[in-house]
Amino acid sequence: MERALVVLLRTAARMLPPARRQWAEALQAEAGQVPAGRTRVHWLAGGLWLVAREGSVTRKVAYWLGIGAVAAAAAWTVWVSWRTVSAADGEITTDRVRILVGLVALIVLPWAGRKRGWFGPVGSGAAARAFRVVGCAAVCGLGVALIRIDSHAGNNGIGYGAFNWMREVGGLTLFGAVLAMPPVLKARWPQLEASTLWSLAGLAGVVVWAIMPVQLLTIGYFAAILAATSRRSPVTGTSLVAGTVTGLATGLIIFGLAAISGDIGLTVVYPVVASIFALAIPAGIASAWRLGETDNSKEGRETRIRQGLLAGTVSGAVCSLLLTYAFIGFGLMMVFGPMIGVVGGAVGGAIAADHPRNSPRQGSWAAGLFFIARDGQTS
Amino acid sequence: MPRPRAFSAQTLAVMAALACQPSAWRHGYDLATETGLKSGTLYPILIRLADRQLVEACWEEGQPAGRPRRHLYRLTGDGLAAAKSALAIAAEVPAKAMRPTRRVAAPRRLAGENS
Repeated sequence: MERALVVLLRTAARMLPPARRQWAEALQAEAGQVPAGRTRVHWLAGGLWLVAREGSVTRKVAYWLGIGAVAAAAAWTVWVSWRTVSAADGEITTDRVRILVGLVALIVLPWAGRKRGWFGPVGSGAAARAFRVVGCAAVCGLGVALIRIDSHAGNNGIGYGAFNWMREVGGLTLFGAVLAMPPVLKARWPQLEASTLWSLAGLAGVVVWAIMPVQLLTIGYFAAILAATSRRSPVTGTSLVAGTVTGLATGLIIFGLAAISGDIGLTVVYPVVASIFALAIPAGIASAWRLGETDNSKEGRETRIRQGLLAGTVSGAVCSLLLTYAFIGFGLMMVFGPMIGVVGGAVGGAIAADHPRNSPRQGSWAAGLFFIARDGQTS
Repeated sequence: MPRPRAFSAQTLAVMAALACQPSAWRHGYDLATETGLKSGTLYPILIRLADRQLVEACWEEGQPAGRPRRHLYRLTGDGLAAAKSALAIAAEVPAKAMRPTRRVAAPRRLAGENS
């Protein structure tokens, strides 16, 4: 048993970053001095725990299991789209192509952005990892929801109709042009202001959205999820958590309102807008408050508002995605939800900046533990 | 400026053990015996303290007979100051406000303290 643990520890220690490896070696070097038997086994087992902890093994395993789950969700979406026969749904070819394009985006985006780190690697926090996995799986699930809705609708003339190569290829080409536009224009005319570039790209984006809204939203959401959870992302873990919690809460409130009014249709648009705005505010406050020590400078205030704004965006996006699952007509909210959330989050950030949280108390719970331990020994 | 983190009970136990003989190099099993901490708890604490440059670590010089070289630890100047300050605060906090969750050995008296 001891020998097996020693071998296991030596092997596992290789998983640690070089700077951390000496600590596992140190623990192993001490093992010979530890009394043989149970004590030594515990000592070596502690070494394995050290490796698991310092190598973030549990987190890595959980993340890769999550990536596997996203791959399974994506495969399931493709399978559902292929299982649906065209007799039941005249738009199924369009859906299949769009789902495949979304899948390609899910693979290509992290690869394309890997050098600059726009879309990866994933941030080190558990919130970023969980948000990336669950968010990507949720967008994949949206594809399944779309196919089911199309299947139920049948060939009734609602939607985009039969597959049209010109529309799909043209839309994708235009989408590529939109993405390439800012860097190309900046390289050709360096004096162009960033606002002009983004305005031009935004206008072209609206045109693409009109041609192929589902793809634009799918790819946009994938890109936004990957960017928000990447290592260089300005979105903090608190913003992700606060935004997700308030977004889900908003979605549930809207479901409740719809249940009371007996309609989940577009008649509840005003309450939806009001709810997203209202619940983005606490998300903004929470994320801005969690930024650390109070800083009353202009930069400190701007930082808080910016973080609140990001949390509000997350809140609006999460709520909109949830609503789109329930009623595809709310797909439009996937664009407007984050925009409303931005405003609410910014308001929350500003409130947090104007009302700084009181400093946390000094000392720690550990202090009392020692007080008790010391008294226990002296008495 | 980020708020300095409070030390956990286990971390304070390690700092107190190291602060008893600030100039002496201690090894892991020695510290584990004194603090009652398991290796899986002790070493991450030592890593964090070394990362914050409160503890310095080095390998034993020369090859001792019959056993592998040990990794040795002692508090840095900053570490000793932090230990004294943290232990002083710990002694002042009212026990009734705290909820102990795990038993650890009480910190020994610091070197140079008479009473």
